[in-house]
Amino acid sequence: MIIMAAVARLSCVCRRGIKPLLYQSTLLPRALVASHKYQDHPYMLTARIHASQALNASSGSKAASLHWTAERAVSVLLLAMGPVAYFNPGPFIDYSLAAALTLHGHWGLGQVLTDYVHGDTKIKIANAGLFLLSTVTFAGLCYFNYNDVGICKAVALLWSK
Amino acid sequence: FTFTKEEMNKFWAKNAQLNRPMSPHITIYKWSVPMMMSITHRGTGVGLSGAISAVALAALVLPGSYPYYLDMIHSLYLGPCLIALAKFGIAFPVSFHTLNGVRHLYWDIGKGFKIPQVYKTGYTVIGLSILTSAALMFI
Repeated sequence: MIIMAAVARLSCVCRRGIKPLLYQSTLLPRALVASHKYQDHPYMLTARIHASQALNASSGSKAASLHWTAERAVSVLLLAMGPVAYFNPGPFIDYSLAAALTLHGHWGLGQVLTDYVHGDTKIKIANAGLFLLSTVTFAGLCYFNYNDVGICKAVALLWSK
Repeated sequence: FTFTKEEMNKFWAKNAQLNRPMSPHITIYKWSVPMMMSITHRGTGVGLSGAISAVALAALVLPGSYPYYLDMIHSLYLGPCLIALAKFGIAFPVSFHTLNGVRHLYWDIGKGFKIPQVYKTGYTVIGLSILTSAALMFI
């Protein structure tokens, strides 16, 4: 409330110059009354401060929300690959599965790390380790697809026993 | 990524620096079906991811081919019960994680948040997972 009052007064200066500001007696008591109300409920004042900070921060990047959408897109894609792998096995679906599984797992494990690992250096180390793991996983799956029977055939063979 | 992460980091930095103990949470809170399904979703996810990474690493490191190792397992002549159990053991995490994943996507489009719906969809996922895994056990 105090911040909004301050912003309103500044905008008055921009519009009409300094003199009207000195006669703005009506704005001041209202601001004082409003701030007194918030003294009784200090948490509301904090919420207000956080709200105006968040408004400023939202002009920042959309990276987090885009990441969220991408995670769901890969999940849906992976879901669709199941029936395709069953009815149309082959190298195309093998490599697609390798990519989608690794990416889905990488992002999933990333969320687990975000939840449980705290502290700047620990987060950096954990994410670096995860990146290494995912790279090796993808490389291994591609190697398996190229030099061995491939993912679809491997599952089929495993289940035939 | 932005504002929230900074806030989160500040919270942890301050409390870790002051050496504050963590309040009991999972040790005292009454367990519910949604809670158990949520952690199972995470557990199966981590487990499946680990298994995939293990297979990928094995492919890079081990000398023989996949059919070679499969024949090695065949030569153990494991009983049909054990094989069926192993198939269930593989099929259940996959079906649970997949079906509960669909439930998550349902939530992501904003549906099914009322508590009775959470339980209904939850029990459906559990039931279908057991049924699918049992069916796959016999193929």
